[in-house]
Amino acid sequence: MSDEPLTAEPTGALPVAALDDPHQLPYARHPARAQAVAVVSMTIGILGCIGFGIAYWISDQTQWEAITLGLGLLGLGFGLTAWGKYLMAQGPFVEERHPFNSSEEEVKAMTAAITQRGGIVVGRRKLLGGLFAIGSLAFGVVAAFPLIRSLGPKPGRSLFVTNWKKNSPLVTVDGRPVHKNDLEVGGVLTVFPKGFAGSSPDQTILLRLEELTPEDPPLSLASPGRSDWTALGYVAYSKMCTHLGCPVGLYQQQTVELVCPCHQSIFNVLAGAVPEFGPAPRPLPQLPIKVRDGFLVAQDGYNQPIGPGFWERP
Amino acid sequence: MRSLFRGRFLVPALLLVSVGLFGLLVFSPGSSSAASDSGSSGFANSGSSGAGLKTSSGQYPQTPGISSSPQSPSGDGIYNVALPKSFIAPGQALFAANCASCHGSDASGTARAPNLQSLGAGTVDFWVSTGRMPLADSSIQATRKPPRFNKLQSLEISAYVQSLAPGGVKVPTVDLSNANVGNGARLFTLNCAACHTITGAGDALANGAYAPSLHYAATRQIVEAVRSGPGNMPRFGPGNISNADVRDITAYVHSYIQHPVNRGGFGLGGIGPVGEGFVGLLIGVGALMLVCFWIGDRT
Repeated sequence: MSDEPLTAEPTGALPVAALDDPHQLPYARHPARAQAVAVVSMTIGILGCIGFGIAYWISDQTQWEAITLGLGLLGLGFGLTAWGKYLMAQGPFVEERHPFNSSEEEVKAMTAAITQRGGIVVGRRKLLGGLFAIGSLAFGVVAAFPLIRSLGPKPGRSLFVTNWKKNSPLVTVDGRPVHKNDLEVGGVLTVFPKGFAGSSPDQTILLRLEELTPEDPPLSLASPGRSDWTALGYVAYSKMCTHLGCPVGLYQQQTVELVCPCHQSIFNVLAGAVPEFGPAPRPLPQLPIKVRDGFLVAQDGYNQPIGPGFWERP
Repeated sequence: MRSLFRGRFLVPALLLVSVGLFGLLVFSPGSSSAASDSGSSGFANSGSSGAGLKTSSGQYPQTPGISSSPQSPSGDGIYNVALPKSFIAPGQALFAANCASCHGSDASGTARAPNLQSLGAGTVDFWVSTGRMPLADSSIQATRKPPRFNKLQSLEISAYVQSLAPGGVKVPTVDLSNANVGNGARLFTLNCAACHTITGAGDALANGAYAPSLHYAATRQIVEAVRSGPGNMPRFGPGNISNADVRDITAYVHSYIQHPVNRGGFGLGGIGPVGEGFVGLLIGVGALMLVCFWIGDRT
């Protein structure tokens, strides 16, 4: 910077730099060229802005609008930056500061004003203070309305039960009843109770596994007491993840696992859909099914609430 | 502008540009070069196109999928190819040389590899024509790779395995002329998108397995996969998805999945917000930082 020692005293007049001071020269080695660049850039920017107006006027093409407006702003910005960067005197410049502290008189006057104001002015506006307090109270009460409203209506039993009832026929999303020959071994189908096709809480994933014969080792398909909940190798589980309710629609038929796409919970179908990985806290509820007149029906509804946990869940 | 090419900007700038270009190349496989037709592109099998084959009800079309003569009485667009008896002998030779070491000389399986009997020619053709068989290594999952055999050889091997035991999935040929692509999109969303994702780019499953990309699948291979359920994929029989519905799904995969309409320009592979955000952050914010460097630099 400068070779002179810095002084705290104000100098009065602005320093006048010598004409050959390198700090006063532009950064660009060829200012004329730099100016030409800035001119071209700003011209492009102007054309872009005009083009935006035209594009906006004659068509609804958002792409053209974005391109022209982007070009306009970019051209102007580039021109401005080039101007400031290459054509302005490059500096750095030093501006001396004036003394910060106030004079004795000013300090006294200010102190007196503050003390007086504190003693007299405040305390006379009880009316306004009271009004503001009432207003705040009213606002506080009103602001609680949406909060209270969002708590209701009470869900009642709706979280505990689904539309699956005793002997509910299994239907596809199109409402077609599911025949016992519809799925091949290794197949998968999303089913609903008849009359509720497409209803999210009722969605159930129907899988067909290899049927086990009595000669096979003890049925590991289901948890204890569920050995007759399957039919012909068909097994059905709620499709709502017990973590946050995503559809557990990813079925790996070779490893016989269901995977939730949201947080990668993995359910072991052969062990009653217990979660073996991921954040899901409980097994998928199993729907007991049977074959009646060649079509699949539910033996009964789910024996527990489906989907994620909630406050009153047993 | 000169300052951009000085040492301390050159490195981040080059890094940014190269990573950006790499990202665009990697993430945009499906936008342009997807299989144009069964058997005529990158990964699909080249070579003979089934000379001398006959469908169950007529001449085997030279280019499956474009045939415009629905001759099957059902008219559902999917016709089984009757593999001629003359395929069996060369198929047996190919099988003995390339497959029997793991699957056994009569394809009944060994400790290393499963029994292929009664799986059907379509199943075998899927595994061989997509290059998954012969297996490259015994990892979690067989990967798609350039096939070792051309289409004719694949069908010969399939014919041999089919001759050993009845049953299984037949080799199909698909007529898309009457397909309802809208219905195919609906069924794809219901049945396929859970694993293969809505753009068909594929995604990870559990324990290292994954659903592969559909961008390279030929029409014949799509039908074979749906019907046979290769690997971890569920098996969708005619009771679940009818032949006409499979044809519609195939038409949808063949058109919109393999030739996506990317309104914004780059599709970035259609792998979702993670990839898009990554590109946006890296290229967008990176470029902004370079601009800031340029504006603020005064040396």
